[in-house]
Amino acid sequence: MAQQEKGGQRMRLPIGRRDIPLIATAIVLAGVYLFGVLTYEHFASWAVVRNLLVDNAFLGIAAVGATFVIISGGIDLSVGSVMAFAGILIAKLVEHAGVHPLAAILIALMAGVLFGTTQGLLIWVFRLPPFLVTLAGLFFMRGAAFVVHSQSIGVRHEFVATTLNETLSLRLPLGSRGIVLPVTVFILLATFAIAWFVLRHVRFGRTVYALGDDAQASALMGLPVGRATVQVYAVSGFLSALAGVVFMLYQQSGDPASCKGLELDAIAAVVIGGTLLTGGIGSVIGTLLGVLILGLIQTLITFQGDLSSWWTRIVAGVLVLLFLVLQRALDALAVSALNTSEES
Amino acid sequence: MPLQSTMIELSRHIVRTLLGIKWALLALALLLAFNAIFTDNFFEIRFQDGHLYGTLIDILNHGSKVAIVAVGMTLVIATAGVDLSVGAIVAISGAVAASLLVERGAPWYVAIVAALVTSLALGLWNGALVVWLRLQPIVATLILMVAGRGVAQLITDGRIITFEDSHLAWFGNGALFALPVPVTMLALVAGVGALLTRRTALGMFIESVGDNEQASRLAGVPDRAVKLFVYTFCGLCAGIAGIIECSYIKAADANNAGQLLELDAILAVVIGGTSLMGGRFFILGSIVGALLMQALTKTLYMLDVSADIAPAPKAIAVVLVCLLQSPAGRELIARWRSRRRGGSA
Amino acid sequence: MTSANVHRLAVALLAALLVGCHKSGPGETAAGDSSSAARTKIRVGFSQIGAESDWRKANTESIKSEAAARGVELIFSDAQQKKENQIKALRNFIVQDVDVIVLAPVVKTGWEPVLKEIRDAGIPVVLTDRRVENEDLYRTFIGADFVEEGRRAARWLVDATGGKAVIVELEGTPGADPAIDRKKGFHEVIAQYPEMKVIKSQSGEFTRAKGREVMETFLKSPEGPSITALFAHNDDMALGAIQAIEEAGLKPGEDILIVSIDGVYAAFEAMVAGKLNCTVECNPLLGPQLFDTIEDILAGRDVPKWIKTEEGVFTRETAAEDIKHRRY
Repeated sequence: MAQQEKGGQRMRLPIGRRDIPLIATAIVLAGVYLFGVLTYEHFASWAVVRNLLVDNAFLGIAAVGATFVIISGGIDLSVGSVMAFAGILIAKLVEHAGVHPLAAILIALMAGVLFGTTQGLLIWVFRLPPFLVTLAGLFFMRGAAFVVHSQSIGVRHEFVATTLNETLSLRLPLGSRGIVLPVTVFILLATFAIAWFVLRHVRFGRTVYALGDDAQASALMGLPVGRATVQVYAVSGFLSALAGVVFMLYQQSGDPASCKGLELDAIAAVVIGGTLLTGGIGSVIGTLLGVLILGLIQTLITFQGDLSSWWTRIVAGVLVLLFLVLQRALDALAVSALNTSEES
Repeated sequence: MPLQSTMIELSRHIVRTLLGIKWALLALALLLAFNAIFTDNFFEIRFQDGHLYGTLIDILNHGSKVAIVAVGMTLVIATAGVDLSVGAIVAISGAVAASLLVERGAPWYVAIVAALVTSLALGLWNGALVVWLRLQPIVATLILMVAGRGVAQLITDGRIITFEDSHLAWFGNGALFALPVPVTMLALVAGVGALLTRRTALGMFIESVGDNEQASRLAGVPDRAVKLFVYTFCGLCAGIAGIIECSYIKAADANNAGQLLELDAILAVVIGGTSLMGGRFFILGSIVGALLMQALTKTLYMLDVSADIAPAPKAIAVVLVCLLQSPAGRELIARWRSRRRGGSA
Repeated sequence: MTSANVHRLAVALLAALLVGCHKSGPGETAAGDSSSAARTKIRVGFSQIGAESDWRKANTESIKSEAAARGVELIFSDAQQKKENQIKALRNFIVQDVDVIVLAPVVKTGWEPVLKEIRDAGIPVVLTDRRVENEDLYRTFIGADFVEEGRRAARWLVDATGGKAVIVELEGTPGADPAIDRKKGFHEVIAQYPEMKVIKSQSGEFTRAKGREVMETFLKSPEGPSITALFAHNDDMALGAIQAIEEAGLKPGEDILIVSIDGVYAAFEAMVAGKLNCTVECNPLLGPQLFDTIEDILAGRDVPKWIKTEEGVFTRETAAEDIKHRRY
């Protein structure tokens, strides 16, 4: 978008133009939360915040992967299928083949990297459009998940049920009953922290931005465009598999039919967080806000408690639209305010 | 003479298109050859109840529905956009037609016109979000994708509305020129699409918007009107597919109609040689792409491949076709050929 | 009614945003646990799978109307056929301090962590329609036996054909419990009759359109002409298949015997028209039984682990009479 590109050497306010969409998103998020607090009994409890993190951990991790890909100017539609594949692979290895869960998780993560790398190679070497390659990836991995096992498998292994899901969780004395943060929340937070650091302070991260901004110019500048493209999809494959691991822990089972359409939720979260699908602009902090907003919308609908199936869908769609409009309006308002303050 | 030059131009265009999608055509031919050998009576066609009857006809019949949507999708993708809401529009269109017919007792033509007008309006809505709210197409149409199915269920009150009206049922079950009606509908839609884009400046506008939006705006292309048009047209195409789908089962199934159709349509467009980055587009290519996908689905059914793993072989076929079609793939083949020639000499 | 709520939701949302702009911080409005003691109305959280079929709609309406009739506050959540949405809803039910949680689980597995949380919060769980794997985590299950439904369909077919048939099978959505169990029950019985053979089996994804498309393929396959019977995992697929059979110039119900499961209204209409031979009922009207059970649980009475629903097998011979009593 034009207003972000104009740059900000003349900026006097502590916030830059790049931050405006992010701040607009944060304000809307706070507004939605406040609305819930004012409208619904029990909404203002720590448990709601905790549930928001626990129930959206897998979506958050998948959305981080999507952020990398989208900033680089690509897209990854295979996310949901890779998650289902990772989950059922682990469940199958642990429950039917006697593999230790840690080893199974490692294998699933490696499979994710391998698959992501393959997608990246197809995209880079053969110049195939990412949308197509990852759409084929979506179909392929869904089929592959059913090849591994055609039904869901519950994971009862002691290490998963007790060590990972109970021993490693943290109890906080908040609210009347206290809240428990499972290990998945820490994986989520760590993923965001690392991704933030990589995009901000590692050369690879800057290459990703350059790639999305203008791939040709990046190549001319001598950036390793090909390697970075493949790496981006490898990262996305890895994070999709990690999201699959978290999903497996979240419900202690693997299911080849699960996570259908999750890639669209992830993309929606990324876009709501202010990342542009054309690439070059975006941040993981925005993505985190996007995930929380989608989660909060679902929480509101549950608390409302009397919407039929169709109204649930309609309200979800309308709320996303409403949110985007508000974000746009706040954005425009802030930009014009910034302009006047610069002129004076 | 102008007619002659038009014909020459048209045939040149067709030949160019066919060359552009030769791998999709080849894949289709290979698939049919495979079936000729391994599936008995795959090519058996007989005449029954005034129309042709056979597996090939089924492929044509079901492929036409996807192809109609793919025609609309082609134009959207040519402007570097995408429409994820076509499945939801299919559901709404069927729901409007069936509920008007059954619950309000409207005549069949009123039901159909209302369904098409609704679809048109929904397409316009998508276009408006993209043009005026400047939402990214994938998100703009995601909204209708999510909410639209809810609207369809709202219209049918969550039930499957069954109807017996023979006129409405004709669109999915009847025959015209000995072929299923959807084939004629496809020819109509594709013809209108081709006429609009090849006989007027519209096609050029679409390609220039897809190539470089800012440059085309500076060059005086009415980019907003172009975008509004393609989304509206795509909505209409989805509406027509919706009529066919509900007519086919003589019922409006709001929850399931058009499920995942957006992905099938996008695949068909891409296999047909249109780039997702926008620019040049091939309507005929998209149609071949849709038929190829349908033939593949049918073959997998015939081979008793279970529905749960069927997506995997489909994905492999799609990637292979697109690999061969890609610039790098073509280069590889050319190099391989020249090396062989060099070796034999 | 619902549209009024949507309206209220929208208005309140805007109001809250305006309030938000005036920087009034989030106060602890809800006073935590004190409200539940003062409450006299029973509050029930119900997580439904979705609205994917007429059967499901009838099921939802039965439970909603029964709750209204008994003055129970029902918090309803529709999961759009996604397990993760159901888990989210369950967690929020805990926060909302409901007295009982009713769950229609979309699949068998994957419920341990959240059901343990519910157990720790001391809220009883009642399952309907489908079950979960671990029996320790719920109080009772109200619903049908999918395996038994498959067996009943098979037994009817054995009787109707004298134990000799060439069968094709339209399966439900891959990985779905009713599809897996109905198939299991059907094949269990069929296996005892060497002259009953299932020659083709393919998923019609529980929908009419897919049911018809797959049946078209069956009929046109080389073995097509030998087919004498069809078993569909639900009525909708059978209704789609009937059209494919008619298109092929055959008489559904005569040339090919058709048995399916669910017993929705449209299936009875098809039986009256002679096109469907038999439907094995899967009763969706669980509301009254469900709330009887909930009242028992809250009163501290013992309830059985599995409350089976009353279900019949209906054939086209009696369909004209039966259809008068059908409510869904």
